[in-house]
Amino acid sequence: MEENNDVVLLRIKDVDMEFKIPALKFDTLKERVVNLFKRKKAPPKRLKVLENINCEIKKGESLGVIGHNGAGKSTLLKLVAGIYKPTKGEIELNGSVVLLNLGAGFDMEATAEENIYLNGAILGFSRKEMKKRFDSIIEFAELQDFVKMPLKNFSSGMISRLGFSIAIDIKPDLLLVDEVLSVGDANFQKKCIEKINNLKQQGVSFMFVSHNINQVKNLCEHTLWIENSKVTGYGPSKEICNKYIEYCNQKKI
Amino acid sequence: MTALKKWSKNRYVLHELIRKKIKTQYRNSILGIFWSILNPLLNMLIMWMVFSQFFGRNDPVYPIYLLTGNILFQSLRMATDGSLSSIVDNRGLITKVKIDNYLFPLSSTLASLVNFAFSLISLLVIMLCMQFIGGYTLYGYQIVSIILMMPAFLLFEYGISLFLSAVYVFCRDIKHIYSVFLTLWTYCTPIFYQIDRIDSSSILHKILKLNPMYYFLTYFRDAMYNCSYLGMGMPSWKILGLLYLFGLISIAIGAIFYNALKKKFLLYV
Repeated sequence: MEENNDVVLLRIKDVDMEFKIPALKFDTLKERVVNLFKRKKAPPKRLKVLENINCEIKKGESLGVIGHNGAGKSTLLKLVAGIYKPTKGEIELNGSVVLLNLGAGFDMEATAEENIYLNGAILGFSRKEMKKRFDSIIEFAELQDFVKMPLKNFSSGMISRLGFSIAIDIKPDLLLVDEVLSVGDANFQKKCIEKINNLKQQGVSFMFVSHNINQVKNLCEHTLWIENSKVTGYGPSKEICNKYIEYCNQKKI
Repeated sequence: MTALKKWSKNRYVLHELIRKKIKTQYRNSILGIFWSILNPLLNMLIMWMVFSQFFGRNDPVYPIYLLTGNILFQSLRMATDGSLSSIVDNRGLITKVKIDNYLFPLSSTLASLVNFAFSLISLLVIMLCMQFIGGYTLYGYQIVSIILMMPAFLLFEYGISLFLSAVYVFCRDIKHIYSVFLTLWTYCTPIFYQIDRIDSSSILHKILKLNPMYYFLTYFRDAMYNCSYLGMGMPSWKILGLLYLFGLISIAIGAIFYNALKKKFLLYV
């Protein structure tokens, strides 16, 4: 692993993300036509979600992302996963990536079995390849009795288990974990943490969004703290997490 | 990602989406996909009874005339109407994973092709019955002619599907507008009547001949039975060329709309 340590897996450079949210959302033709004749038109609202983000992840390293709700953490992960394109800046990724958030890539009407194949296909695996992985995925998720059940009848914990199991079976170079562990029960969480540590030893990198600061401290070498769409702190996890806890405590008073 | 790798990934996704589409279509149904064979046959039977009893159409090929018209138009209806909400319906995927959005209308269009193939079986059954009774023979080149037509027909359907599914993201009215338009289109297409029986100098005749589906249906019927029944041989290459032209125009319009709108999908679905 020594020689791999300096290979940069992900580099985020001067990234800005801005959403142009239309002031009014038209769903019907009538609303559209009426608006056409209105004299004063509301300009589209510009919402800056991320501003000047810089960070990098080396191969085998993990990065924690912390901050308050709405700070832009999930948007950052979606940018890395390629769902959004940054308004400004560059994201350089040298490997495969899987975004894991609640219900990602699942069809709620389809069964767990169908969803494993669909999710696998989206991640670039054929049905044949997924068939080989099927048993170990179901086994890790402990969903043997629910293979033929539509996902809409699953609890959120079960859905996150399934997503996590597929992602770790596929072993991407970078796994983006967005708050999925917190819905699982204590036993499964423990199992996941063990698995994550195991995968880290095998060279898988993680980008970890969590409100569980201790988890971030234990699992990630570095931490990125985003507050109001800007980077407030970036560095070794211990240092940044302690600062964050301090900041939260101050805010309470 | 190289183009080849991207295509192989998209192929897997497409495969799963088509599978899912067909599965959900016949969920909790006993006969399942066999409805695709049975449905056109039953529809034909009803229409044939209505038109032979009420309007005195006693032409022996009339059942096949009805069946061909129904099958082809039903395929268009399924492909386009099924694609209409495909992008919006898959918002759970679009907003959470990286996926090419055109795969959704494409999978609906291709799923309708699978249905079409099954409906052709019902046609084949009728034709073999007629062959048994006499006066009709099925030749290999007829099958070839139909295969030649399919890419053009798929392009035509897919162009409309792309247009509808992209516009539907922003303007949900299109669903109702298109459903009315489909009714109009059904009656403007010679499914149960013959266009040649209308005075060829009339405006109506000229308008009806502007309908691309008229040419698709003419070719389909020529290939299916006119060519052997009337001893015409291979259906006309000129019409086939025209069909490809329609297909290309449709896909061009669909692609223009889709490409212009796709950047904003994420915020609107």
